[in-house]
Amino acid sequence: MSESETVAETNLAPTERRALFLEGARQALTGPAYFVAVALVGVGGLAKAAGFPPAAAFLSTLLIWAGPAQVLFFGSIAAKTALSAVAVSITLSSIRLMPMVLSILPMLRAPGVGRRQLFLATHFIAVTVWAESLRRLPDIERAKRLPFFFGFAVACIVTSAVFTQAGYYLTAALPKPLAVGVLFLTPVYFLSTLVRSARLPVDWLALVFGFALAPITQAWVGGGFDLLALGLIGGTGAYVCGRFFTARRAERTP
Amino acid sequence: MNLSVQDGGLAPYIILIAFGFLPSEIWRWLSFFVARGINEGSELFIFARTVSSVLLVGVVGKLIFSPVGALATTPLAARLGALAVGFAFFALFRRSVLAAILGGEAAIIAAGWWFG
Repeated sequence: MSESETVAETNLAPTERRALFLEGARQALTGPAYFVAVALVGVGGLAKAAGFPPAAAFLSTLLIWAGPAQVLFFGSIAAKTALSAVAVSITLSSIRLMPMVLSILPMLRAPGVGRRQLFLATHFIAVTVWAESLRRLPDIERAKRLPFFFGFAVACIVTSAVFTQAGYYLTAALPKPLAVGVLFLTPVYFLSTLVRSARLPVDWLALVFGFALAPITQAWVGGGFDLLALGLIGGTGAYVCGRFFTARRAERTP
Repeated sequence: MNLSVQDGGLAPYIILIAFGFLPSEIWRWLSFFVARGINEGSELFIFARTVSSVLLVGVVGKLIFSPVGALATTPLAARLGALAVGFAFFALFRRSVLAAILGGEAAIIAAGWWFG
C-alpha cells in the first residue's frame, strides 16, 4: 500500500469529523468540563481581587488554560508582586505542561493529520484534558482521535471560561462550606481520574511517590522550585522502580 | 517598564499576555518541537507520562497538606478522611469518578459546615 492510499483511507468525511467533534464535546459535558470549570471559579474571584477588568477573567482561561498559572498570575499581582517575578514563577509552574504535551501528542498523530492541527492541539492540553485523554484516547481508533480531542477540549475550555467569568462576580457570595467544597474538587477529581487511568505498575508508583513527596519537598525545597524537584525526583524514582517491577514480572513468567 | 493593572485601557490585557500567557504557553510550543521524535509506547513517552502524573499528584498533595483559602479552616484529618470517603465510593460504585467526587464532596462540605 502506498502512502497516499493510507492517507486517503484514514481521511474522515466532514460529517464523520463533525460527529466525532460533537461526541467529544458531549462526553466532556457529562462531567469533566464542569469539574475543571468549577475549579476555575476561584480564579475569577482572584482576577477581581487583583483589580483586572471583567473580560480578563474570561480571557485568562482561554489564553493561559492552566489553573495553577492563573492562580499564580492573579494571586501574585493582587499581592503587588513585581511583574518580572510573576512571569518567572509562571514559567516555573508551567514546566509541568511539557510532559503532558509530550505524552498526548504521540497519541494524536495519525496519517493525514497535519502539523498545524497538532500545533493547535498543544494549546488545549492542560491537566484535565491531559488526564481524560490518557483515559479515553487509547480506546478510540487512531484516525478518529483528533476531532474527538478537539470537541472534548473546546467544550472544557469554553465551559471553564464561562465559569471563570461567573466567579469574577460570585465568589465572595459563596457560603463557607460550599467554598470548601469548590476547593476540594481539584484533589478528589484528579486523584480518582488518575487511579481510574492507571494501567502499568509505574502509574501506581507515580501516585504513591507524588503524594508522599508533596509535604517533603514543600518543607525542604524553597523558592518555588519544590514542584520541579518533586516531578524530577518522584518521576525518575517511580519510573526506575516501575521498570524494576516489570522486569521481575517478566523473569517470573518466561 | 512601568505597566500597571491600574493604568486601565489596554494595560491589563497587555500584562495578561506578556506576563501570564507567554511564560506559560512557551512550554507547549517547545514540547511540540521536542515531541516529533517520541512515539506512543516508547520509554520516553512513559517517562513523560510518569513525570506529569507525579507532578499532578504533588500539586494535589500540596492542596491537601497545606491548603489555601476556606479549605484551610478544616483539619488535615478531615481532608484525608474526605479523600478516603471518595475512594470508598470509587471502589463501591464500579470505579466511577463521579461517585468518588460526590462522596468526597459530601464529606468535605459536612466537615466545612461542622468546623465553620
